[in-house]
Amino acid sequence: MIRNYFKIAWRNLLKNRGFTAINIIGLSLGIGCFIIISMFVIDELSYDRFHEKANRIYRVDADIIMGGTELNLAVSSDPMGATLKKDYPEIEEYVRFYASNGPKLIKKGNEFIRESAITHADSTLFNVFTLPVIIGDTKTALVEPNTVVITETAANRYFGSPKLAIGKMLETDDNGKTLYKVTAVIEDMPKTSHFNFDFFFSMANVSYDFGTYLSHNFHTYVVLKEGTNHKTFNNHFIEVIDKYILPQAKQVMQIESMDDFKASGNKLEYSLMPLTDIHLHSARYAEISPNGSIQYVYIFSAAALFILLIACINFMNLTTARSSGRAKEVGIRKVLGSEKKALIWQFLTESTLIAGLALVVGLFFVWLSLGWFNSISGKELEFFSLLTPKFVIFILLLPFVVGGLAGVYPAFFLSSFKPIKVLKGKLSTGHKKNSLRNFLVVFQFATSIVLIVGTIVIYKQINHIQSANLGFNKDHVLIVDNSGVPRETRQSIKNEIEQLADVKSASFGGYLPVANSSRSDNTFSMDAVMTESNSFNMQTWRVDYDYIETVGIEVLDGRMFSRDFGSDSTGIILNETALKLTGFENPIGKKLYSTERDGTVITNTIIGVIKNFNYESLRENVGALSLKLGNNSWETIYRFNTADIGGLLSTIENKYKAAAPGMPFKYQFMDEAFDDMYRQERRVGTVALAFSLLAIIIACLGLFGLATYIAEQRTKEIGIRKVLGASVTTIVRMLSTDFVKLVMLAFVIATPIAWWFMHKWLQDFAYRIELNWWIFAITGITALAIALITLSFQAIRAAIANPVDSLKTE
Amino acid sequence: MLLRLSQATKEVKNGSEKIALLDSIDLKVEEGEFISLMGPSGSGKSTLLNCIGMLDSFTDGGYVFLEEPVHSMKEKNKSKLYKEYIGFVFQAYHLIDELTVQENIETPLLYKNIKSSERKAMVADMLDKFNIVGKKDLFPAQLSGGQQQLVGIARALISKPKLILADEPTGNLNSKQGIEIMELFSQLNKEEGVTIIQATHSESNAAYGSRIINLLDGKIVTD
Repeated sequence: MIRNYFKIAWRNLLKNRGFTAINIIGLSLGIGCFIIISMFVIDELSYDRFHEKANRIYRVDADIIMGGTELNLAVSSDPMGATLKKDYPEIEEYVRFYASNGPKLIKKGNEFIRESAITHADSTLFNVFTLPVIIGDTKTALVEPNTVVITETAANRYFGSPKLAIGKMLETDDNGKTLYKVTAVIEDMPKTSHFNFDFFFSMANVSYDFGTYLSHNFHTYVVLKEGTNHKTFNNHFIEVIDKYILPQAKQVMQIESMDDFKASGNKLEYSLMPLTDIHLHSARYAEISPNGSIQYVYIFSAAALFILLIACINFMNLTTARSSGRAKEVGIRKVLGSEKKALIWQFLTESTLIAGLALVVGLFFVWLSLGWFNSISGKELEFFSLLTPKFVIFILLLPFVVGGLAGVYPAFFLSSFKPIKVLKGKLSTGHKKNSLRNFLVVFQFATSIVLIVGTIVIYKQINHIQSANLGFNKDHVLIVDNSGVPRETRQSIKNEIEQLADVKSASFGGYLPVANSSRSDNTFSMDAVMTESNSFNMQTWRVDYDYIETVGIEVLDGRMFSRDFGSDSTGIILNETALKLTGFENPIGKKLYSTERDGTVITNTIIGVIKNFNYESLRENVGALSLKLGNNSWETIYRFNTADIGGLLSTIENKYKAAAPGMPFKYQFMDEAFDDMYRQERRVGTVALAFSLLAIIIACLGLFGLATYIAEQRTKEIGIRKVLGASVTTIVRMLSTDFVKLVMLAFVIATPIAWWFMHKWLQDFAYRIELNWWIFAITGITALAIALITLSFQAIRAAIANPVDSLKTE
Repeated sequence: MLLRLSQATKEVKNGSEKIALLDSIDLKVEEGEFISLMGPSGSGKSTLLNCIGMLDSFTDGGYVFLEEPVHSMKEKNKSKLYKEYIGFVFQAYHLIDELTVQENIETPLLYKNIKSSERKAMVADMLDKFNIVGKKDLFPAQLSGGQQQLVGIARALISKPKLILADEPTGNLNSKQGIEIMELFSQLNKEEGVTIIQATHSESNAAYGSRIINLLDGKIVTD
């Protein structure tokens, strides 16, 4: 029986090649898209699950509000882990990462390579995380100072193989020069980890003022004992604050109790973040790497499902529309004794067969487009990862699910024909009012319209961000990393380059308004004695005399730092937000006080006010910020003025290479670094664009098929109308009107839905575009135009046909 | 007795009007009869055949088939009944275009859940009997009308029905083909005892039957 079904299904597919092609292309696009997104979603959901204790590992996060500044940190203080383990038996183990010092230069032969996948870690690393070792003893690997554990890749890069690496020394630029002994080589970490280090250096080599609870610089992970609830455990942090943190805080500022602290609007809270939630649910300050977002996982999943649904709808519409072609067969089979059930199974077999073929083509699409998808999504998905048992089962089930979904309605529809009707009279279901089919067309177009509106809004918002008035000038600025350059020579190189005609100005700086630049949050008070009510927090950036000019920040009041004034080392420049926090009417000359860790109070004199500039993502409003003179020279920034950027770059590179031989020359342009902050938005934009294109293509395929069929169905009617004198235009209009109405209805339904979604999405941005009516208007007109072009293709063909032919064949 | 109709009536609504397609038909059919239904277009021949074949149902009156009251039967049981005992032959042959001759003939057996080997044997017999072995792998479109009707009859016979209902079986055929088909019917009726009811316009075709029933406006005029 099933063979008979397959046989007839196959012959039917061959007989109606056009419809088969439309059905299979539509479904395969849907299926391909669905598979890629499934791969993406499964990859996103699999982060950090490879650790044996994954469901018991938690990161200690801190939420702080001080003087109106809010900080949500992925790091906590250095004694936190040890304190928790000492005081609470529920804590089985802890480990800390210290990655705040940034990249290291590591010597290979005579060259230094800049390695950024590095951290310092406690020796307990392997008690917490599952990092399979290739060679060496992980129990003792990081106990001693000057030890390092490296991955296989790093071992191959520096020594040729793990075996050759073990016991060898690695030279780094720590404190000028520090040697580390390789004590273990581990396997490369899976990509699906929120941290991906190649070098784990011993924590003993970190030069840090250990023991302070008030600075948060360590990523701290704890393992809870089996059966411990992390939410309940969070309550213990109140005790930790009282017992350890408050006493230290009292020394620095005048705090009596946590209640006082809170009463003045401040906050200090710690909590445990489940390891497996970090990748999708954590977007905190000082994340080890930028995380994914559950929101985008949802959006992508929904889009993939909808596209699959649109493709299924095509199938339903086309199959039911051409039902009269199958009606005779249904009638005969019923007369020959077939029950309805058998026919339903037959049609379901057929739709499953089509879905199976579509799956094959869809997999081919996946294979074709995976590279492209990887490049826009930043993933490294591999086609052959589909061969894992789970995926194979999933993929094998897909034709049945899709076939069932797409086939069940046509199956019931077709199998319900009364044999006497179809065998006698002519059954024409094609152009009859079919409210379900209309509903499905509306659904397809409404979905497409929502996707198109989404794409336009995302693109507009990204453009808006990139062209927004930032308060500084990001163009024509080169940032050169100085970490390879000896401190003594940095000034001379800078002076030399500043002399070039194409360079307008140059400045040292570690603090820049781009992602991954340094930040420093400090507390200031209005009076010399700090209380929690007269103090507030703001960013304090140490810059040099030329910073404001080089970055292109506007001075609103007072002046910028100047070499002509001897007292500028105590001078401070505020931005508008910071000025508001002080409440000063005439700020110039007023004093602000800050306290060093040793208790020394420093008096700062306000010498200028600058315009607010965006130094964080445009999702946020500009926070309070102050500039002070400093002499950090981690980076040098050059503002240049030339069209020949390549020439200038090579001139500068040569100067650096000459001054610091063997060191990598690492640079970036500020506008590119800035754009990097919105990489995720741009990725989403590109994916959204792809999705909307797919959706509209599939929907149009369906419309094309329907139009073809209906034109075919009405051939005789068209012939008669033409004989009676109808013009081509009237006939095209007659054939298109119904569909145009449906597309317009879809537009009416889609508009509020699209508006609501995009309105919500835009709420994430402090600086956002307006949802203009014309975005919707353009989308509506586009959808209508595309639909009309699709339709007219068939309608015109039907209308210009010679009526003599059509009437003769009927 | 094969079947009996008593006061069987079929009415349809046309707007607010009720039209009787069949009006109080009384009819008894014995096994082995070869009945020809005659009458002009619209006299109700086809409707009567469809109702007897249970593809359609009377709106009033009684219908007993092999002692079973069809008029009070559920759709499913009716379907079982005609699947078992009734074969249909149509004017337009109604073969499944996508199936070969052999597969078309085999189809009714699929719905009776007969084993593959047995099916093969039965189909082979039938092909042999109708002398169309050489055409078994052709599709309907590759056959002449007469050959298609031959396949249609073979298909109707394969499940060994007690009753064959033929609606203008030669209507689409030329006279030579028509005669062949009618002789085949006659032979089946005489040699195998299959009961046949055919609807026809043609006096000469009707003459093959053992009994002629004339219909006009849904009523039996002569029997």
